Amino acid sequence: MSERRIGVYICHCGGNISDYVDVAAVRDAVADLPDVVHAETSLFACSDGTQQDMIAMIKEQHLDGLVVASCSPKLHLFTFRGVSRRAGLNPFEYTQANIREQCSWAHTDDREGATLKAIGLVKGAIAKTRESSALEPMAVETTSASLVVGAGIAGLRAAIGLADLGLRVYLLEQSAAVGGWVGHFGPTFPNDRDGRAMVADLLEQLSSRPTITLLTNAELTAKSGSFGNYEVTITVHGERESTVTATVGSIVIATGFDTYEPAIGEYGYGIDGVVTLAEFKALIESSPDGLRFADRPVRTVTYVYCVGNRQPGGNEYCSKFCCSATVHASIEVSAIDPSIHQYHLYRDIRTYGKYELLYEQARKRGSVFMKFPDEVPPSVARTDDGRLVVTTRDTLSGNIDVRIPTDLVVLVTGMVPRENTALTKMLHLPVGGDGFFNEIHPKLRPVETVVDGVMIAGTCQGPKTISESVASGLAAVAQSGAMLMKGVAELDPLVAVVAEAACTWCGECQQVCPYEAITAVSVDGREVATIDAAVCKGCGGCTSYCPNNAIDLLGATDAQMRALIENLVEVVV
Amino acid sequence: MSAVIEVTTVDPGLLADIQRFGAADVSACFSCGNCSAICPLSNNDGTFPRRMIRYGQVGLRDELLGSKELWACYHCGLCSESCPQRADPGEYMAAARRYAIASYDRTGLARALYVHPAVGSGVLVALAAAFATFFTLMSGAEPRHSLRLFSFLPDSVVHWTGIAVMIAVVLVALAGVSTMVHGLARHEGVHGRDLVVGAASWRRAWRGAWSAVAVESLGQKRFRDDCADADPAEHWYEKRWIVHATVMWGFIGLLVATMLDYGLSLTGVRATGTPEPVWYPVRLLGTVAGLAMVAGVTTMIVSRLRRSNQASTFSHQSDWVFLTLLWVVGVSGLLTELALYLPGAPSWGYWMFVAHVSLAMELLVLVPFMKFAHVIYRPVALFFQSLANTKA
Repeated sequence: MSERRIGVYICHCGGNISDYVDVAAVRDAVADLPDVVHAETSLFACSDGTQQDMIAMIKEQHLDGLVVASCSPKLHLFTFRGVSRRAGLNPFEYTQANIREQCSWAHTDDREGATLKAIGLVKGAIAKTRESSALEPMAVETTSASLVVGAGIAGLRAAIGLADLGLRVYLLEQSAAVGGWVGHFGPTFPNDRDGRAMVADLLEQLSSRPTITLLTNAELTAKSGSFGNYEVTITVHGERESTVTATVGSIVIATGFDTYEPAIGEYGYGIDGVVTLAEFKALIESSPDGLRFADRPVRTVTYVYCVGNRQPGGNEYCSKFCCSATVHASIEVSAIDPSIHQYHLYRDIRTYGKYELLYEQARKRGSVFMKFPDEVPPSVARTDDGRLVVTTRDTLSGNIDVRIPTDLVVLVTGMVPRENTALTKMLHLPVGGDGFFNEIHPKLRPVETVVDGVMIAGTCQGPKTISESVASGLAAVAQSGAMLMKGVAELDPLVAVVAEAACTWCGECQQVCPYEAITAVSVDGREVATIDAAVCKGCGGCTSYCPNNAIDLLGATDAQMRALIENLVEVVV
Repeated sequence: MSAVIEVTTVDPGLLADIQRFGAADVSACFSCGNCSAICPLSNNDGTFPRRMIRYGQVGLRDELLGSKELWACYHCGLCSESCPQRADPGEYMAAARRYAIASYDRTGLARALYVHPAVGSGVLVALAAAFATFFTLMSGAEPRHSLRLFSFLPDSVVHWTGIAVMIAVVLVALAGVSTMVHGLARHEGVHGRDLVVGAASWRRAWRGAWSAVAVESLGQKRFRDDCADADPAEHWYEKRWIVHATVMWGFIGLLVATMLDYGLSLTGVRATGTPEPVWYPVRLLGTVAGLAMVAGVTTMIVSRLRRSNQASTFSHQSDWVFLTLLWVVGVSGLLTELALYLPGAPSWGYWMFVAHVSLAMELLVLVPFMKFAHVIYRPVALFFQSLANTKA
């Protein structure tokens, strides 16, 4: 490699780094390295002022490589790629060295060791940058259309939002009726808005948007193509089965959840008088004057929370909505008859945010909340004299075991992931440990999946309230808009490339590629592998498998990684 | 403690029932425990008074009525001052004690007096009228030359009525105490044999009784030591324990003077009603005690009217009934005495005397059914408190 001109910035991160790493020593250790023409420390490298200084420095010193040693690239890789671009430097000549998460925060007890490690990481980053080359993002023309899978509250709202952006929308619903769970709900928390009315309102909005095609009794049966231009096949069931094909730029998955079905005997489920929250809500709706169950007046209701959720070895997650929904239901009950006694047996009450007000209101209306210890869950039984009795331990009164003779036991059941195997396989959707679909990052990229152009919204991603589902549906709309509204999308050039001369088409790479990006082509009468850059995600799986070392990953080439490692170990080991 | 896990059945209506005795704000309590943090009586387990409120909320009636701590509280009001929910735990404790008095009483009279103001007032008026009518019917001629109260109303009538009333009160009180002790002993895991078998047990029981009656009840030790008032009194004579001691010792002084008078008559030293100067020891004791009690009760009434401390910000009807009865009994007694020493033997003295005797009898009759009942129940609870403190 010819001579390079590299600038290096070592960030204090306020004190997050400099409290544990001697940043001046790091600078001094790298300032005189070959190809390093500028090195300095900075209080906050990501601050506006420092970014301006960097741009000025890149231009003034004609830098052709940039290294910032700061936080995780997950946080600021795009920030400094942007700095490079604005300074006229190819963004892929930029390298980030993570000396915060991987160094200062991890070694708060060893300043000397942390400083040494930081020097190694920065030297490695400089070595990698020496081997870097300018890369150009691929431009892909995109189709101004979206497919929304699932017409529940999130899917409906997303479809309307996408149409309002001017995109053609295909809204697909597996069942005959749209609206999902919410379409069956009466008044919902926190504002008593009627679920059916909300869905009816959305349907009306849907019908006034001709660019939305609603397909019920339909399922996605095939998908091909790459980001920006997915070919989808939708099978519509019915008297005569038909298929619809379409090209879409993005796909929003909003397939929703299933409710937890308690096992017979679980907290007395199966005993007359033990119902789930959903059944109880239906009972409330059918009892405007006087709560009755099986023709008997209900004087006492006992709620058992977290049934099927937060169970060690079972569904360990929290379903989030159930505490608020139950507390809301109890307010409805007291509105029907304020003299009904209500006992809430809970693990933790999670009426978070403004839903706390509902909890407050329920308490004021006389609901008694009793926390039971994790190891002693309540038990439900019918006694010999036929009374339904819940026995529980009340921590707040000093772990006293109490019997609550009750007329109705409500098992507060949460959400479970829906069975989606076919869809998961077809779209290569990542599924988390809980069985729900996984986003890339819960805060930074909350609706995107690792599959470009495929987004998740609503409760298929994990338990959500109605408003959270709608919000995530709209986030998927915004993300689709950002991808498709320009008509052209840029794809990361960090993809695998084949050195055709070395390739013997053994087929190993095709076997390991999770994205079906690799096919064989004939070049000069020889079969060699070719990689579709629009489909490749740059995971690097094939590069390590190739027995002939014929595949390299742009942006993380073998040469770059070797240089990085050698420089790192030289310092640290 | 019993090893068997006992399961209590909840009484869903308990809190609403307690709230018929006061404690309007306690529903706001969310068991944060600020009250326990500041309470000078809260011991190492740090759950008093929070747990008392919890018992009410959950509906643990037996636990509440079996709690000695209920009666350990002197309503200093620090808990109510520091309650972030303004649930007024101090007033809850007072209401729970009213509820306990009504629950220990098996006749239902206490409950009627507490929760039905109209019925209560009716009973009070009717009872006073009945005694007045009875004593008027039993009265004879009014001697004119000097005020001869016991010629007008024979001392035997007063004495025997008094003795009958006392016996009735003691029987009712014993029934109440037995209910209470049963609950406390069960809750505390105390068995009778723990107190009577062996010298050590006897000693422990004796120490408990001494502490409960002498140190704590008559000596008001914790009241003096621990319960710094939430609103410190401006003057020493406004300190709650001093005011209470004045009333209590005034009342005891009057009781002793009355009994001495009867005793002197029984032993033939001096017949009841014999004219005597104001410095005559028994008369002097009665006069001083009467003045002290009236002064103390007046201070209490003024403090309640002015709401000058946490304990007096909320006054239940039963508080007024008790104070008013004490006050009219004391004042009518002092006026009767005044009539004795006034020249010309004013005839209103006779009627003041009838009023005094009738009201005093009413006060005695109602001891187990009203706030006065704390003289019966508090020492019992303090006895259990002392037993708990002397546990190995």
